Amino acid sequence: MSGSKPDILWSPHHPDRYVICDSELGLYRIGPVCSAETKPGSLPLSEETAATLLAINSDTPYMKCVAWYPKQEPECLLAVGQANGRVVLTSLGQSHNAACKELVGKEFVPKHARQCNTLAWNPVDSNLLAAGLDKHRADFSVLIWDISSKFAAETGVAAEKSRLPPMDLDSGTTVTKPLYEIGQNDACLSLCWLLRDPKLLLAGMHRNLAIFDLRNTSQKTFVNTKAIQGVAVDPHFHDRVASFFEGQVAIWDLRKFEKPVLTLTEQPKPLTKVAWCPTRTGLLATLTRDSNIIRLYDMQHTPTPIGDETEPTIIERSVKPGESQIGSFAWHPSSQNRMVVVSAANRAMTDFTVFERISLAWSSTSSLMWACGRHLYDCMEESAEGAERAAEKDIATKMRQRAQSRYGHDTVQVWRNHLLAGGNDPQLKSLWYDLFYILQWSAEDAELKLPGNKQSLYSGIKNIVKSSSGKEVSSRRCWIGSERQTDVPRYHSEERSLALRLCGWVSRGSDIDVETFLRSLEQEQEWERAAAIALFNLDIRRAIQILNRGLSSSPAGDLNLNVVAMALSGYTDEKASLWREMCSSLRLQLKNPYLCIMFAFLTSEPGAYDAVLYESSIAVRDRVAFACMFLSDAQLPRYIEKLTAEMKDAGNLEGLLLTGLTKDGVDLMESYVDITGDVQTASFCMLKGSPGEVLKDPRVQCWIENYRNLLDAWRFWHKRAEFDILRGKLDPSSKPLAQVFVSCNFCGKSISYSCSALPHQGRGFSQYGVSGSPTKSKVTSCPGCRKPLPRCALCLMNMGTPVSNCPGAGKSEEKADLTRENKLAKFNNWFTWCHNCRHGGHAGHMLSWFRDHTECPVSACTCKCMQLDTTGNLVPSDSS
Amino acid sequence: MFVARSIAADHKDLIHDVSYDFHGRRMATCSSDQSVKVWDKSESGEWLCTASWKTHSGSVWRVTWAHPEFGQVLASCSFDRTAAVWEEIVGESNDKQRGLSHWIKRTTLVDSRTSVTDVKFAPKHMGLMLTTCSADGVVRIYEAPDVMNLSQWSLQHEISCKLSCSCISWNPSSSRAHPSMFAVGSDDSNIASGGKVQIYEYNENTRKYGKVETLMTVTDAVHDIAFAPNLGRSFHVLAIATKDVRIFKLAPMRKESSSTGPSKFEVQIVAQFDNHNSQVWRVSWNITSTLLASSGDDGCVRLWKGKKLVHLQQEHRRLPSVGNRLQCSDRFLIFLRWVHD
Repeated sequence: MSGSKPDILWSPHHPDRYVICDSELGLYRIGPVCSAETKPGSLPLSEETAATLLAINSDTPYMKCVAWYPKQEPECLLAVGQANGRVVLTSLGQSHNAACKELVGKEFVPKHARQCNTLAWNPVDSNLLAAGLDKHRADFSVLIWDISSKFAAETGVAAEKSRLPPMDLDSGTTVTKPLYEIGQNDACLSLCWLLRDPKLLLAGMHRNLAIFDLRNTSQKTFVNTKAIQGVAVDPHFHDRVASFFEGQVAIWDLRKFEKPVLTLTEQPKPLTKVAWCPTRTGLLATLTRDSNIIRLYDMQHTPTPIGDETEPTIIERSVKPGESQIGSFAWHPSSQNRMVVVSAANRAMTDFTVFERISLAWSSTSSLMWACGRHLYDCMEESAEGAERAAEKDIATKMRQRAQSRYGHDTVQVWRNHLLAGGNDPQLKSLWYDLFYILQWSAEDAELKLPGNKQSLYSGIKNIVKSSSGKEVSSRRCWIGSERQTDVPRYHSEERSLALRLCGWVSRGSDIDVETFLRSLEQEQEWERAAAIALFNLDIRRAIQILNRGLSSSPAGDLNLNVVAMALSGYTDEKASLWREMCSSLRLQLKNPYLCIMFAFLTSEPGAYDAVLYESSIAVRDRVAFACMFLSDAQLPRYIEKLTAEMKDAGNLEGLLLTGLTKDGVDLMESYVDITGDVQTASFCMLKGSPGEVLKDPRVQCWIENYRNLLDAWRFWHKRAEFDILRGKLDPSSKPLAQVFVSCNFCGKSISYSCSALPHQGRGFSQYGVSGSPTKSKVTSCPGCRKPLPRCALCLMNMGTPVSNCPGAGKSEEKADLTRENKLAKFNNWFTWCHNCRHGGHAGHMLSWFRDHTECPVSACTCKCMQLDTTGNLVPSDSS
Repeated sequence: MFVARSIAADHKDLIHDVSYDFHGRRMATCSSDQSVKVWDKSESGEWLCTASWKTHSGSVWRVTWAHPEFGQVLASCSFDRTAAVWEEIVGESNDKQRGLSHWIKRTTLVDSRTSVTDVKFAPKHMGLMLTTCSADGVVRIYEAPDVMNLSQWSLQHEISCKLSCSCISWNPSSSRAHPSMFAVGSDDSNIASGGKVQIYEYNENTRKYGKVETLMTVTDAVHDIAFAPNLGRSFHVLAIATKDVRIFKLAPMRKESSSTGPSKFEVQIVAQFDNHNSQVWRVSWNITSTLLASSGDDGCVRLWKGKKLVHLQQEHRRLPSVGNRLQCSDRFLIFLRWVHD
């Protein structure tokens, strides 16, 4: 606390005030940063807080140590220890009442001048101030002053200590007679009052720690140690004391004062300050010289060891309040884990909070929980506001919503699945249309009994195109509506038209007619796309017509459409025309990619359509269809190959058109899953490929398993059942075998065995359920040995008897309930039993029993059958 | 938009770990007050503490749930050098204590000689297996051969990692293509002692776990480690909390089916974020491994997203009021593309 090293003291009563002691005392008030403009003189301490200088006191030179008066009144009274050993009371407060006036300026003078090292106010008897001084062979090193002592007292009976020369007793404010004097011919480096007994004073003396009792100052308890600096009592555990020497901190237990209970790992540089956190148990902060970190030791409760003694272990942490080297720090007396740090070099202050370490966990339902200190925080993703947010949502949330909207389950209008998915994902749209066309054409082909096409439809355009080489027919056609011959060759082959069908451009038939497709596009107001497709079918007039229609339908009137329509009408195939030159340069300024590629097509040389084919903002389906029309057999497979590789790398689902549901398709889906984690789409998509090789791919099975696991985790048990049913339909090999059998008590045969050859549980039991049927009433006995089946615990009828309308229970709503369920399924007639007590009966009876009871219906059985399975008690979170 | 609210936890000391069950309906917390609390989510979404009991004679570091297929089972580990397995007994609670459930200790695993720093159940498909790691650098794998008898656990493997272990994570992939694998992190702060994350894999032939990889670039103390849910991906992703957040991608090299040696991985660091600007304490993946949450000594919880990053900040300086809105600022939007490059 010499001039070179600042120190900080928090006010014991004002949570927003502290003093920086340097060569002078500066009182600061801490507050939130003013939002509007920074007030003059306010120093930013952190992002939210700033300090204002309230007062400066430079009355006392040669300050060595400072201690804040612990009582509320007079406020801001400080004791300052000086280099000559004098202790001066000074104030930074504004209130100058009588009590304050009396105290401020009082000086306490030792007999021999030497440095005052430390000061400590007694926490209970606030009149007592202990001062620790350097060694003097003829004097005491610990002096305890009574600040309330009258000046008269000291002039009066100065009996024993007559050696004391009355030094500069010039004013009446000087006290020279201490209340107690301890530690003769010794040095005192640190002091603190013990909290467990305010008469006890702990002092770090030269080479020993000593406890003095004011009731008997001649005696002391002491232990020899080097760790005598900075003694501090843990405010939460009054027997625990920390002290340090050089780079080492020793922790003492006053009940076992012989040796430190713990020595903390030695630091390479000497320590300068050690302080217990006042707001948290067992947290000790230490600071070493020339360092920018504060090291924290969190002392855990010692486990009670069996037998041998163990050291308590501590969690060590270091925190870095800032980049600059720390001069000193001080814990805030009441704010949790908060401290102010002052830098060594420029006295810059930082308001800093040591955060507890936060542990956190995600739940399967996308909520995040974290624990900080003793508090828990639950953090939920708020339900989306607006459509634009939907795109930002996490895939987990998306999959949950999609599962609830029955995504993937529309097996007739397959393309509608993209609407079930939210309808805002172009990749999914493309995927489900691809699958729709594949399924549609293959179904039609099957109807028409066309040979051999089905497999090729699933195998994607890439393979279709591969097989087509050598069969191309090229033709030069006229521009529709003009007599001019084009120099654009168009290629035809059976495979190419098949590919076009898969792209959705044309429907069945040898003739290529895109009119129906154009109409549907017009309906969806995709004017630019429709126009481009019309143009690729060499119908400029239709293209212009579409653009005009688009212009009139859009309320604002897209000027682009108009301009493009005009430009199109001026088309000329002359190579060196101004039209061509202008179009090829101006097309780059068009924003809509479809408008852009129209001119790219018109201005390209035949066979060199890179500007169309590699325009990545055009849907893959249109690019592929275009390629199938205008690329030669040499160019086409190369282009398709290249595009496929690109799609596979990017995991772009649009590429599924090219790969089909083949191994290539699985590769592509793998990259898609790698990127997005969307196993839901992957599972449903690959199931559509059945029966086929793809379902046997272990990767596909892995996605399906992972998706089912997700549904389980979300408690979407109905969805999971629906998915399994769908899967069973599409992939019969995945049907699980029966897992539960009911065997006869007497012969041990499965009772469903003889009823049905199928080892399928539902089928087997259904035989026992149909009420009123004379043929089925027989099966109240085992089909194997004809012995009767067990009785229902509630109706006491043999199992196999159909459920009557509950003779015992008189509740009419319950009856209605059962009859309603009866119509839906024969579930009420099923066998059910508790795995624990083995009692059971008709499922319907059991359910209604446990609606009102917790114990088993069998008398004297106390089994709580329904509560045994905690998972079974979880409510499914999806509606059936 | 994420919204946080505070829950009165009522622990008497620091909470060290939070853990959700498989369905996200139950939660367990453990604390330096030597107790574990179990929380159940009510229909209205409130968390209610349904059990609280003293579990250890020291700080409880971690708590974790077994898959519900094995019943309602918890494992905890503590500074008292033990790990314990707990099971909930429903049938025995009487009606007076309705709403409170009863947990009984099934076993205490006492093999460690130092503080047990982490405990994790192995993925479900491996059966009921429990892994612990301890400050003396030993990973222990226990198995309950009979899943109906949770008091019988046999120590199957004991692996010495040479470095003080702080955290462990199983690779959750259930694909047969991937042998079972776990990663161990060490909080040894000595840079000279080498890589602090080791990856072990089960070898069918030797029937032992062998080290297949050490992440040599991670030389600072590691506080937490988390494999991302695999979800049928072709590679594994590992998040590490050290002086920053790091995400590694482990792509298994295609190997011939005949070879039986340890798998080789192409290890690639895909992201490194120092936004916490301090030690990172925990990392956690969401169920699809598309979001990563991390916490650091700066008192912030941050969320990281595949292609971009959302920054969440929670001020713990002041007690946040219920429904306090987190900052979700776009200032930190970074184009990452860490998933696939």
